[in-house]
Amino acid sequence: MITQLKHARVFDPTHKKNGVVEDIFISQGRIVAKPTDASKISSSHDLSGKVVMAGAIDMHSHIGGGKTNIARMLLPEFQASKHYSEPEAHICTPGCSHFATPTSTETGFRYIEMGYTAAFEPALMPVNARQAHLEMADTPMIDKGAYAMLGNDDYFLRMLASQQDQQAINDYVAWILHSTQSIGIKVVNPGGINAFKFNQRRLDLDENNRHYQVSPRQILQSLSRAVHELGVAKPLHVHCNNLGAAGNFQTTLDTMRASDGLPMHLTHIQFHSYGKEGDKQFSSAAAEIAEALNKNKHITADVGQILFGQTVTTSGDSMMQHLNARHANPKKAVLMDIECDAGCGVLPFKYRDQNYVNALQWAIGLELFLSVEDPWRIFLTTDHPNGAPFTSYPHLIRLLMDKSFRNEAFAKLNLDAQAMSNLASLDREYSLYEIAIMTRAGAAGLIGLNDRGHLGIGAAADITVYTDQADREAMFSKPDYVFKNGELVVKDGQVVKVVWGATHTTKPAFDLGIEKDLRDYFAKYQTMQLANFKIHPDEIADDGRGSIVVHSGKHLS
Amino acid sequence: MSALTFSLKKPLQFAINCAVLTPDGLANRTLNEIAALTLQHGKQAVRVDELFDISGHDSASLRFLNTSDQLDYLGANMHSGRIDISGDAGAYLGFGMKGGEIHCHGNTQDLAACNMQNGRLVIHGNTGDFLGGAAAGLRKGMLGGTVVVKGHAGDRVGDQMRRGLILIEGNAGDYCASRMLAGTVGVLGKVGNYAGFSMHRGTLLLTTQPDLHPTMQACGSHTLPFLNLLYKSFAPYSQAFASLKSLRAERWLGDAAIQGVGEILVIR
Repeated sequence: MITQLKHARVFDPTHKKNGVVEDIFISQGRIVAKPTDASKISSSHDLSGKVVMAGAIDMHSHIGGGKTNIARMLLPEFQASKHYSEPEAHICTPGCSHFATPTSTETGFRYIEMGYTAAFEPALMPVNARQAHLEMADTPMIDKGAYAMLGNDDYFLRMLASQQDQQAINDYVAWILHSTQSIGIKVVNPGGINAFKFNQRRLDLDENNRHYQVSPRQILQSLSRAVHELGVAKPLHVHCNNLGAAGNFQTTLDTMRASDGLPMHLTHIQFHSYGKEGDKQFSSAAAEIAEALNKNKHITADVGQILFGQTVTTSGDSMMQHLNARHANPKKAVLMDIECDAGCGVLPFKYRDQNYVNALQWAIGLELFLSVEDPWRIFLTTDHPNGAPFTSYPHLIRLLMDKSFRNEAFAKLNLDAQAMSNLASLDREYSLYEIAIMTRAGAAGLIGLNDRGHLGIGAAADITVYTDQADREAMFSKPDYVFKNGELVVKDGQVVKVVWGATHTTKPAFDLGIEKDLRDYFAKYQTMQLANFKIHPDEIADDGRGSIVVHSGKHLS
Repeated sequence: MSALTFSLKKPLQFAINCAVLTPDGLANRTLNEIAALTLQHGKQAVRVDELFDISGHDSASLRFLNTSDQLDYLGANMHSGRIDISGDAGAYLGFGMKGGEIHCHGNTQDLAACNMQNGRLVIHGNTGDFLGGAAAGLRKGMLGGTVVVKGHAGDRVGDQMRRGLILIEGNAGDYCASRMLAGTVGVLGKVGNYAGFSMHRGTLLLTTQPDLHPTMQACGSHTLPFLNLLYKSFAPYSQAFASLKSLRAERWLGDAAIQGVGEILVIR
């Protein structure tokens, strides 16, 4: 049983194939070499002229965990505007769906309909890990995975405050990866969410957390060293301090310097690239950030582009979300501390093109995309749903690939914002090859998914087929075919078969002796016992729908 | 013309949503068409004539007989006409109401007058919590209109209320006028604890001194001539309120915890 994809125009940056026309063979969910016996080919698709890429990977998208449910419940205004015939539609429940945060089922469908075959939840709170995995287990079609949030949790900060050695911290980080079934580690506003609980309202990189007397710099360095020494492929996922504050680019640059040469990923960097120039005390620092990114080859970043319209912002950064709550539209907010772990802030936001700050945010994101030279180190995200829902990716791709379309959109913005941006002078247009890097090869490489994001022999047969169109938005929003593990699941942008993806994890070795101390800690301070905290692989595989893939952590050279 | 009358045939097992049975919704429909409308009862869509005996034909004036507290959303979003409910009503009575009148002669469940915008709702019995409140997730409750309750009301009367008038001739529960943004709530009986909790603006008119929490600030006794006008304006709605006389009131301001400037007037 071999499926043949004939005359595919392949964009596979991992193997440096830029539009090479060749045949692809699929057997048992994998890409295989050309069979010697042609009679084994049971079906074939003629893809003459079609653009073929690996399935896209969204490396940062909030698709699970309690905060997404809060976001779903936060916009009954949207329910009302739809004039649903269902009687109780005005009551917004966690099952509610709006464009910003679709239900878990719809999330899977919308992703695969755009040719995405994997998405990674970037803020899995260890204490909420089970909830997040349950939600992702209900997300069909795509593969998923998560980055566990550390750095604001009481146990880690105690370790740091009592100056425990790096080995103990490494063991704790590895234990968290194992027990939460995650593939990476994220730190959100290092130490800041915790400092908020002790009445600090801002925290700079070298400012001490009042209670533990440790600084964000120490937290970052200790965590990135742990991730590096454990051999986890995914570099520490860093959501810097001072998100969204004017003048925060300095913190971002300092954070890059604090990395001390170890790999580090700065997430939704658009929200961390703001200067303080001009009459309105808010300006673009995209040039400075892009320059630093170009220079520091060990740093990667995803953009977190904003696009105009209503959305709901969800973040673990309760400190900065508390500060931003006055800009919420409609005016409401959910802000909470979550046990010993961290916090959570959910606010509805309406980005408007005639608003100076919003218009400039839009331009800053695109400036970053266009000024960072190496597409292997910058990733296409909207920080779904914070900048915009993931369903707007095709629009964003068109903005990157089509200069005149971009400039037309730019010309409609708030005039003061236009005057503060150099976007119109940036001539770069992304090529299909570069888009394939950003959304496939680069993302897979960053996370350490060695058998995804490319079309080499042995790779999982997650394949997307597009018709080459001048309108890139139309092209990327409706693939002709999507194959998931070798099965045809989408035809002409419509799901034809429902399948269930795997959960990607990594499991570095560590000293289990750490559980002795952790067990005492859990008994004393946590709301659940240690044994209940750990997620057993069977819980994910349990009903046969889900499965766990463990990645070695080593990068494909 | 005789009122279009719906008489419930037998007690309901599940609550049903009666939002389609309003004067506007039934205008220009024949009796057969009305009988063929469906309502969701548990998992099944059931024809209206399976649940109700229907008689009369004036859809501008509806009458519900043999009612129960399982009839939710009566008069939802209605713009005009009149609904008379001979017995109890369920939750969300007068939900999003924009005009017309509803008279309920029994008791109601929670969230009566939720999101109400205009019109008049009269409840002759008692009502549940969140009278004049907001639907889940919304930050503004009742936006206008008048609600009169002859009996008692539950907790959270006028929660996040933005405009309009609520008059309660009996008692009200805890958190009366909580998070109120504006508008007027009057209670002739007693109110429970935490009256005016997180109140931003608006007026809570009382006749007995409640136990207030510390962030409601005492502003002393005043003689307020405008009260005379206020009482007169109540005449079309409630004789009990219109017959108030005293112009002397104890004034409280709050909720200071959120820098609110709502007022509680306790008539002496």
